[in-house]
Amino acid sequence: MTSRELNSVIARFKHLYSSYELSRALIPLILLLIASIGMSPQYFLNPMNIKVVLMQITPLALIATGEMLIILMGSIDLSPGSAQAATAMIAAIITRATDNILLAMLAAIALGTTIGVINGILVAKLKIYSFVATLAALVIWRSFVIVVSGGRLIYGLTQYSVFTQDFGTYIPIGFLLAVLIIILIYVLLIKTVFGRYIYGLGSNEEAVRLAGVRADLAKFLAFTIAGALYGLGGVMLIAMGGFAVDPWSARGNELNAIASCVLGGIMLTGGSGHPLGSLLGASMLTILTNILVLLGVTEIAVQQTVVGIVLIGAATALTRGLRYVK
Amino acid sequence: MSNRQAVLAERIVKKFPGVVAVNDVTFELRYGEIHGLLGQNGAGKSTLLRVIYGVYRPDQGSIYINGRKVFLKSPRDARNHGIALVHQEITVIPSLTVLENIALLGFSWNSLASKFDYTSFKEYIDRIMARFDIGLNMNERVRHLSAAERMLLQVIAALSINAKILLLDEPTSPLSLHEIERLFNVLNQLKKEGLAIAFVTHRVNEAIDICDRITILRNGEKIDTVESRSIDVHSLIKLMLGREPEELYRVRDEKSFDFLLGKYAAEKPLIELRGVYTQPQIAAEIPLKNINIKVYQGEVVAIFGFIGAGKTEIGKTLMGLTKIVKGDILYMGRGIKIKSPVDAINHGIFYLPEDRKVEGLIPHFTVASNMDISSLDIIKRFAIFIDEKRELQVAYDMVKKLNIVTPSPYAKIIQLSGGNQQKVLVARAMLTNAKLVIFDEPTVGIDIGAKAEIRRLIFRYSRERGTSSLILTSDVDEAIGLADRIYVIRDGEIIREYYNKKLDRDEILKNLA
Repeated sequence: MTSRELNSVIARFKHLYSSYELSRALIPLILLLIASIGMSPQYFLNPMNIKVVLMQITPLALIATGEMLIILMGSIDLSPGSAQAATAMIAAIITRATDNILLAMLAAIALGTTIGVINGILVAKLKIYSFVATLAALVIWRSFVIVVSGGRLIYGLTQYSVFTQDFGTYIPIGFLLAVLIIILIYVLLIKTVFGRYIYGLGSNEEAVRLAGVRADLAKFLAFTIAGALYGLGGVMLIAMGGFAVDPWSARGNELNAIASCVLGGIMLTGGSGHPLGSLLGASMLTILTNILVLLGVTEIAVQQTVVGIVLIGAATALTRGLRYVK
Repeated sequence: MSNRQAVLAERIVKKFPGVVAVNDVTFELRYGEIHGLLGQNGAGKSTLLRVIYGVYRPDQGSIYINGRKVFLKSPRDARNHGIALVHQEITVIPSLTVLENIALLGFSWNSLASKFDYTSFKEYIDRIMARFDIGLNMNERVRHLSAAERMLLQVIAALSINAKILLLDEPTSPLSLHEIERLFNVLNQLKKEGLAIAFVTHRVNEAIDICDRITILRNGEKIDTVESRSIDVHSLIKLMLGREPEELYRVRDEKSFDFLLGKYAAEKPLIELRGVYTQPQIAAEIPLKNINIKVYQGEVVAIFGFIGAGKTEIGKTLMGLTKIVKGDILYMGRGIKIKSPVDAINHGIFYLPEDRKVEGLIPHFTVASNMDISSLDIIKRFAIFIDEKRELQVAYDMVKKLNIVTPSPYAKIIQLSGGNQQKVLVARAMLTNAKLVIFDEPTVGIDIGAKAEIRRLIFRYSRERGTSSLILTSDVDEAIGLADRIYVIRDGEIIREYYNKKLDRDEILKNLA
């Protein structure tokens, strides 16, 4: 085959697949955007509102991307909420103590990575079901937050306003940073051997192991990278959440992360989904809540019910054509 | 034969993305006959059956039942017309009893309102069983039933809802010879009672044994419908494959045998198991006892034995998945330890599993990525990145070399037929630089044509590249047609070793009698 023929085959077939998986997330997002603009053009398109939405997307998209790595390989992670809170709390304490935001950030990411390393060891080495291992992590790291914070709120961390600056574009720096990181994860998943292994593990772990892949190492690395993303998500939680952290911050965010993945077309059984799905899903979840608020639905219970219904719709669309699910 | 027509599927066309599964096929089934649908894998026989059962809607053509044109929207419609499908993959519920399963399979929402009378239902089923001479214990849990008995259970369930048209999809593939006989007795009874039975199979002998008429399909097209009385095995195979059967068997040339004798004298074996005993971690595995096996470089060795004799266990032991309690694995005469598949591959040992779906294929992956999952090293650049152009080139070359039928190297693996999927896995092994490839039942469940092709590939691959092949097989013809040496295994022990020269299959088989 000549090089030109080769390229045309790549273009024809390669893109068919990835675009299908991308469209699973992109089309509903576009529909949601059109609906939102249609329902409340003057408020929704208001630059300040757009900025608020982008700010809200940022921490969620980061932890959802970590969660996506785990879900793609067929496991589940219940620790992102607690991990995000723990890393945010550490960052807040260090910022208070040293006024060095860079040091605080590094510490947060280091703690997040440690949380991921421990999750990875529990699942890959000690062979504990990821659901159970990370359920333990959920409660343990939340307890850690309560202990180190002494139960107090830490506020006024205005140093983090560097991430909310937009230089007149209404696109906050923190959001751009998150998108950049997510693109790196995209490259990792689509273009590298590691990414291939992650998808393979989610699709048929037994086969991948028999094929001689160092599956435990790949799993361990996935949890570790996810942990680092939770750490960065913790930093952005401070920046985008009013420069404050309290012991119950990010509570339930593991569920928002999983919901983002579902909305983003990531199959919960693993092996299938576009790497930008988490970002698109987090955007959908945020915009959905935003438009409800703009329409005057301020009651949390009503908002959550609508989100739940949308989630059911998305999950149904995702598993359409399957004979059964677990 | 002048019996009344039960089903007429007229000029049926069914397309799937990229393939025409059934192309303009007309199939007639009469009451009081067993009508075989014969063809290789991917010939379209199961698809046709599913069209008649209402699972798929045909793109063109019409279906007549008892002379009336019908539109089947779902299997429920088909059942209402008296059609039942018996299939090895239809789930019976292991924790329930036979009677409960029959009630469930025959259950319809319409009968929900009426009260379920256990005693009279049992009597009803007992009467059916007595009539057809099916001996099943009604109170047995289904988990204790054999594959044949589960099949019979489905037949009873079909009879219990007064089905007059039975569709059987490859009913015999999980059965032993004895069980097949039992099933055939029942089918002949049903035929006498006037039922119409369609029987899908890829086994030529069976078709001739049990069927009155046989319709042969090839590549989705109908070749012919013949009376089984007036045709012999040879011509039937020819119709099914479209070529002469002789060329399919003997893959190996005996010329190279003397060359191997030289090797046996001069060289150390590439891999040797010396006095290996194992302790299985899973209940279903059997322990190996005093296994002594040698495989020389470039040699094709078969381990022949029935299912459950310990063949797969030898493969798993070499992959480090079963614990050795005594004995050694030697690599070129030096002792090595294998603790995991990663270790095995580092020592140049690669294993292609018996169960393609469960342990082999990666269903979400393309043909290309299924091939190179074990050899991403050769398509890597900058240490971690996948070179997509190189991946396509490598896959494209393999598709050509192995004659894999696929719309493109980027087609999803699940779109391929069983034989072609197996070829992709063979390609996976060939792409590694393995020195020994273990093929566990490489041709089980695929049709004769693809069988011969895969055997030829394995043989050529060993001879040309000098890679050793260890074939674990329960097919004696495969062992004789392919291997240089044959070990016979029974109950976890090697009981004979043969040099494959002028070897007779009965000579081997008598070991297992």
